Amino acid sequence: MRTIAEINHKISRRMAVVLTVEELKAQVAAVGVTQTAKEVDVITTGTFEPMESSGAIINLGHTDPPIKIRRCWLDGVPAYSGFGAVDLYLGATGGTEPQDGEETRDTPRGLAQSVRGGGHVISDLVAGKPVQVRAIGQVTDCYPRTSFETTITKDTINQFYLFNPRNLYQNFIVGVNGGDRPLFTYLGPLQPRLSNAVYSNPGAISPLLNDPDLQLIGIGTRIFLGGGIGYVAWEGTQHFPLQKRLPNRTPIGPAATLALIGDAKQMDARWVRGCYFKSYGPSLMLGVGVPLPVLNEEVVALCAVQDKDLVAPIVDFSIPRRVRPTFGLVSYAQLKSGRITIEGKPIRVAPLASMFLSRQVAIELKQWIEAGTFTLTEPVAPIPMERSFLPQDRKNSFEF
Amino acid sequence: MKKRVTLTFPKRAVQMPVTYRLAKEFNVAANIIRAQVAPNQIGKLVVELSGDIDQLDAAIEWMRSQHINVSHTLAEIVIDQDTCVDCGLCTGVCPTEALTLDPQTFRLTFMRSRCIVCEQCIPTCPVQAISTNL
Repeated sequence: MRTIAEINHKISRRMAVVLTVEELKAQVAAVGVTQTAKEVDVITTGTFEPMESSGAIINLGHTDPPIKIRRCWLDGVPAYSGFGAVDLYLGATGGTEPQDGEETRDTPRGLAQSVRGGGHVISDLVAGKPVQVRAIGQVTDCYPRTSFETTITKDTINQFYLFNPRNLYQNFIVGVNGGDRPLFTYLGPLQPRLSNAVYSNPGAISPLLNDPDLQLIGIGTRIFLGGGIGYVAWEGTQHFPLQKRLPNRTPIGPAATLALIGDAKQMDARWVRGCYFKSYGPSLMLGVGVPLPVLNEEVVALCAVQDKDLVAPIVDFSIPRRVRPTFGLVSYAQLKSGRITIEGKPIRVAPLASMFLSRQVAIELKQWIEAGTFTLTEPVAPIPMERSFLPQDRKNSFEF
Repeated sequence: MKKRVTLTFPKRAVQMPVTYRLAKEFNVAANIIRAQVAPNQIGKLVVELSGDIDQLDAAIEWMRSQHINVSHTLAEIVIDQDTCVDCGLCTGVCPTEALTLDPQTFRLTFMRSRCIVCEQCIPTCPVQAISTNL
């Protein structure tokens, strides 16, 4: 029907017809798939949700005398430094280490937690705010310095880019708590005796649910990442494309994931937000938008999927094991109504993804394409769609 | 009629069965919304008093005579619109559905009149956009 090159030619002449995925679903309902596919060139999708498997690569620049950093903290949050001398990786869920006598919000078993973590530091850097660096070096003939302290902003460091190992989950779960004590999870607080439920995928507007077999999205796909330009770098960690699928090809639970990369210096703190889940820890909320080229009618047919045609499993977090019991599947239409029924009992259900900001991402990406500032890319390689999902079981190992 | 008040007890008044006395002597029902009471500490109670208007006033006057501070100014939930990302996580823990998502726009809406200031939303908010103004 049309190629990416033809679409880009239209974009550069500002002639491309771009619809957000919600506008597309409405248009298909009004005029059908065939007519819509004739009229529309690009569909924009977006999501804004916590994506904890995210982090930033930073190159500080060399000091004089130089230092080979072995331990490092950014605003008190530890950053990984076991590679190039002044290369750092700041993970979104890293937490500040409380100083002696310092009060922390939580006192769970194990490590004390702080509210502020890597996600907040990344967000501050994106916003242009100053961040304290404290580094300890290993003395070598190349790098004689033992320690270094300074204040950085995104303008005083060489590289600052997000390199997120697992983003854009294709579908996820619904969390509930069938136990008798409150649980504090990565989905937020789950109250006992099935008192509330939380879902985290925005459903029919979510990027990967509109390209269920990843026929359009591949390695090298240019995307909206945190308000800047990013790219699909690889399959994500825990990528599980072999998840069971409905006849409409969408998975019934967590499935494909993508690793994303993008220059954080160009991002906007509106779309890169540090967050904190009580008694779980810090994370990062991220806005990601993916354009889908209308290459043929099938693209439109798949993007016409509705919330009522998408499902997620209801998972009981009161059993803290790898495989948790489920209460069956629920549709996103039910989830978005704010109430689901489990074992005859109505339960309030809240989202964790911001549907409002997810829409805004799709709208902003649409505006970029309409303005001719964002063109589409051909994937340089497909995302593998056959990957097994391996558990890690004990073999000759000891339990502490 | 109903009146929502915050009661602050001096240490020596903590032992007094206040809600019992309100019911028995003034025919006032005290629905406890929040309570923070422990032996030998200043106690705090947020109650919704319901009863006859004269008896309500008499009950409040009596409590004041017992050195219980009766305050009509209540903590209110405040949402920082610049910080809120409209994720809606708070709507699941709000017992009175004062916090809801608009079904069309999916923006967070807060109906102050429904809020009982239970504060469950405060620690739930992942971006710390919710606080009380007290």
